[in-house]
Amino acid sequence: MWEKHIAMHLMAYLNGELPPRKAREVESHLEVCEACRTEREKIRAGMDAIRRLPLVAAPDSIWPSIAAEFGRRQPRPAAVVHWRWVLAAAVLITLMSSTAYWWLHRPLGTEWGVVRIDGSPSIGAKPLVGAGHVRAGEWIETDAHSQALVQVGEIGSVQVAPNTRVRVVTAQQDEHRLALARGEIHASISAPPKLFFVDTASGTAVDLGCEYSLIAADDGSSLLRVIRGWVSFEWKEIDSLVPAGATCRTRPHLGPGIPYFDDASAKLKQAADAFGLEKSGDTTLNVILSASRVRDTLTLWHLLARVDPPDRNRVYDHLASVSPPPAGVTREMVLKLDAAALQRWRDDLAWKW
Amino acid sequence: MRMGMLRIGITVCAAVPLGLADGFSFTLGNPVAAQDYRAKTASFVFRAEGCGEPAKAQITGTAEGLVNGIRHSVPLKISAMSQPGVYAVYQTWPAEGAWVVSLKGACGAENAGALVPTSAKGFLRDAVKFFPRPATNVEIETALKNLAQGANQ
Repeated sequence: MWEKHIAMHLMAYLNGELPPRKAREVESHLEVCEACRTEREKIRAGMDAIRRLPLVAAPDSIWPSIAAEFGRRQPRPAAVVHWRWVLAAAVLITLMSSTAYWWLHRPLGTEWGVVRIDGSPSIGAKPLVGAGHVRAGEWIETDAHSQALVQVGEIGSVQVAPNTRVRVVTAQQDEHRLALARGEIHASISAPPKLFFVDTASGTAVDLGCEYSLIAADDGSSLLRVIRGWVSFEWKEIDSLVPAGATCRTRPHLGPGIPYFDDASAKLKQAADAFGLEKSGDTTLNVILSASRVRDTLTLWHLLARVDPPDRNRVYDHLASVSPPPAGVTREMVLKLDAAALQRWRDDLAWKW
Repeated sequence: MRMGMLRIGITVCAAVPLGLADGFSFTLGNPVAAQDYRAKTASFVFRAEGCGEPAKAQITGTAEGLVNGIRHSVPLKISAMSQPGVYAVYQTWPAEGAWVVSLKGACGAENAGALVPTSAKGFLRDAVKFFPRPATNVEIETALKNLAQGANQ
């Protein structure tokens, strides 16, 4: 490539050191070659940078060694004349190397690809025609007739349903974060856990590796339904684990509710959704306890940390009657909400979900 | 009589080190039970129980299906998870038709089997059948027929 270009002459050209005929040849080439014009600007920038370098006096300690070298051999005047070229070349090489290194190691996912599926979705208020990109801070918006598919870095994709407004918060290799203001998205992620997050007004869906749909309403509530894998729905100190086949509703100012399996009875699901909203929790708690199956230990387990201490005894007794806690997990530990004990019981219960 | 007693004695002596008291069997679960993010895309997970050395249990299986009246058999993709004796089954069968996963396990002289009807949402826990041996062809056909009829209702 370089044999056809004049890059090797650019430094001399910029220094005014080329013979007139050669300089004209370089100028003619630059008029038609963008690559060499780019190189010219890089070299010029490097030379400008050198000129702006402050002059620093050499320390006295180096002079004896320099004097000894002068005595050993004749000095080379050419080296003195060309030191600027050497430094300029070094700066140029550094610039080129840095650029190449940045290009090869640039943060992936700084912008995500977006494809129009239907209608006229927009990115940052600009209509998307065919395919485009979205950057951190930009909104993706769909109307009643449009849909879009977002490629989330290299870890998966998110389908944006009609009437949805979602913003890319962070687009980095170690964090892929969306904020869903309203509408519905369907995420399909294949990555180690806790690389993909979706913020809503009432909780954050923390992907633990899965496929799920998330609907955010205008009142700030959300509905998470997990299709594959599992999701942790978090808000302040409240955390709901939602496995495949389960749903969890979040409410503004209350965070994630009690998750339940989609095949649970309608009574249990309604009671789980209403839990915490009524003045007295007895009604919904009674319904949940009476309507629960073995598989509904998912719901019962989450209740342990959400009910008042008097009701916790009831929940423990019912849960233990359905699926006794594993060895080493005592009633006392559970009633005190010992985190390790609760975790162990949950891990054991998961085999029944 | 003597040979019968001898066979019983040999069977007991061979089986005791393998935890015969509990028997070799499978327990099925939601992928979250594996506590391993590699199971996130699994159709379901299972653990081999009652095997003295779970890591040495030999586990195989196939997905048996009925698609438009035609029988199919597809090899299973089974991956060992981080917990010893826990495995994930990934869907290698198509979405169309009725599919039952036939699991087979061997732990020393003991065997275990399970027929796991599946759906688009995972496995149908209430319809799972367990056996102290691999399921027979008759049992597989029955499970498929029941699943297909249930899907058509």
